[in-house]
Amino acid sequence: MEVAMSIFDDISLSLQTGKLKETKESVQLALDEKHSANEVLNALMDGMSIVGDKFKKNEVFVPEVLIAARAMNGGMVVLKPYLVSEGVKAKGKVVIGTVKGDLHDIGKNLVKMMIEGRGIEVVDLGTDVSAEHFVQAAQAENAGIICCSALLTTTMTEMKNVVQKAENAGIRNSVKIMIGGAPVTESFRKSIGADYYTPDAATAAEVAASIFATVKG
Amino acid sequence: MTGKQRVVAAFSGKPTDRTVWVPFAGVHAGKLKGYNAYQVLTDIEALVSSLLEANRLYDPDGQPVVFDLQIEAEALGCKLLWSDRSPPTVVEHPLAEDYAIPTSVPGPADGRIGLCLEAMKRMKAEVGDRTALYGLITGPLTLASHLRGTDLFMDLILQPEKAVDLLAYCLEVARKMAEYYAGTGMDVIAVVDPMVSQISPDHFNEFLSPVYGELFSHIRSMGIFSSFFVCGNATRNIEPMCQTRPNGISVDENVDLIAAKKITDSYDITIGGNLPLTTVMLMGNQAENARAALDLIERAGDRRFMLSPGCDMPYDTPSENVIAIAQAAHNPDLARSIVQACENSATDSFDIPVEIPDYASRAFPLVEVFTLDSSSCAACTYMMAAAKDMKDIFGDRVEVVEYKYTVRENVARCRAVGVKNLPSIYIDGRLAWSSIIPSRNEFKAEIEKAIASHEV
Repeated sequence: MEVAMSIFDDISLSLQTGKLKETKESVQLALDEKHSANEVLNALMDGMSIVGDKFKKNEVFVPEVLIAARAMNGGMVVLKPYLVSEGVKAKGKVVIGTVKGDLHDIGKNLVKMMIEGRGIEVVDLGTDVSAEHFVQAAQAENAGIICCSALLTTTMTEMKNVVQKAENAGIRNSVKIMIGGAPVTESFRKSIGADYYTPDAATAAEVAASIFATVKG
Repeated sequence: MTGKQRVVAAFSGKPTDRTVWVPFAGVHAGKLKGYNAYQVLTDIEALVSSLLEANRLYDPDGQPVVFDLQIEAEALGCKLLWSDRSPPTVVEHPLAEDYAIPTSVPGPADGRIGLCLEAMKRMKAEVGDRTALYGLITGPLTLASHLRGTDLFMDLILQPEKAVDLLAYCLEVARKMAEYYAGTGMDVIAVVDPMVSQISPDHFNEFLSPVYGELFSHIRSMGIFSSFFVCGNATRNIEPMCQTRPNGISVDENVDLIAAKKITDSYDITIGGNLPLTTVMLMGNQAENARAALDLIERAGDRRFMLSPGCDMPYDTPSENVIAIAQAAHNPDLARSIVQACENSATDSFDIPVEIPDYASRAFPLVEVFTLDSSSCAACTYMMAAAKDMKDIFGDRVEVVEYKYTVRENVARCRAVGVKNLPSIYIDGRLAWSSIIPSRNEFKAEIEKAIASHEV
């Protein structure tokens, strides 16, 4: 029996396979067919969430995630004006960066893409970000989450400074601090008093989404 | 058996008299001699003296000479950023905008390649008869990502022909580097490619299998061993890696070594790994490190296995932790009894009376050396020898005693004195050195100070 594919399936599938042109075209088609911007956004998020799941299970790897994220971005460019006119807001805002002294940003970029794939706005502070900068940016952007990434055992200790600076600035109760990177562990998270450690980009996005869902709920 | 013979046996699938131990002390070796990462990776004297100290303290069967995956990238014009306690980072990727693949490979004097070659020659002369020396080259995928940046990953899908060309060039660089290093007498060429864990088996087969197959065949043709080092969760790529026919594969704690060993065994490949770098080696204590090593040794068995850290050890890894692991490899029975004693010491009520000397009322200083057992632990042997040397120098003006942790009374004493790490030297009840063996002059100066205080 043939199952009819909806336009939303087309969007999700073309995103999962990283097809930029097809993703943009199906997004435009769905909008032309008068589907709401929110429905189209959900289809894009669905595709990205499937990619995230597969990434977590070691079924797809960095190249596949990068081209899926590229397709998502292409779709978002088409969708954005419609989201604005329909008044659809981001589900929350995150500031992200690699900690001071650390320039390894592949992991950070993957986390950023996965979180964006959840309909959350991400402000990318880049690499080698000081604890002060993380906190100032979180305040200026009114972000609900600070995400810190480190690849080196020598730089991961900077994450403790981020927690400390957030406390000093009086925003510790209004911002969650998430940490990750190859040497980071749950016991390290506990030792520095951060809120969440996640072992991979997909889980980071899940946790970020659940934090904002809880806040809203 | 010498360490080198053990490494050769392990790569050949033959039994060894004890577990083969290959610590990866890169920048960490510098710490042993008080050098930062920049000094130990740029100054020949700092590098060689640090490597020799690591060789002395950890008594390895195999030892990498330089652990820095930026050597080739730097020689090819990538800008590096240095930090004190970790290897440098590539900060600019020359092919990021302009995909102009270089046309020539680095020569033996380019960048720091000359420094590596000199260090290899000197290490060969100093310890090459007993320690198998590893020349480490940057794997083609990691070198390609240094040159091209993260976009390399998308190239595998979006412009595969470009990726193929770049990887073919990186293969040429790797072949040449292997030749340079083999020329200094390296016993093993290890190709280190952490990025391999970030791509699928399909991509591995499509892009890397031909490259690696040729590289390992080239190394084999030079009559030396090859090893394939990977970091991260490379579980899915272990089998494709085996099919490129290296002699060894080394993995970190993200891979289940025992499950991976079933695959490597079926290809007659020796697996190495995978002591956890952060949670155990950097942050754990001696007993936890010995236990982690013993656990791995017991589960991996005595064939086609080498005990190693998951990757290059963190700069600040406490040397006493590495010493505990070395002890587990060298004498597992003894290490087991020490771990047992440590565990018991938490619950044991120790009804053994421990008499703490009244140091101040003594006529001469008392040097107390707490060891795992100076007859089997290299670092303990050197520490005890340093103390005996003081006895030879100062004669009756100093007293030296050794407390081996293998004796229950001494475990009780360690607890009473508050000894945290072994081996340690206490002078008149005060901790003087832990794990680091003092130089003769340092030790003499401390003893002279102690003698003076007794004379007062």
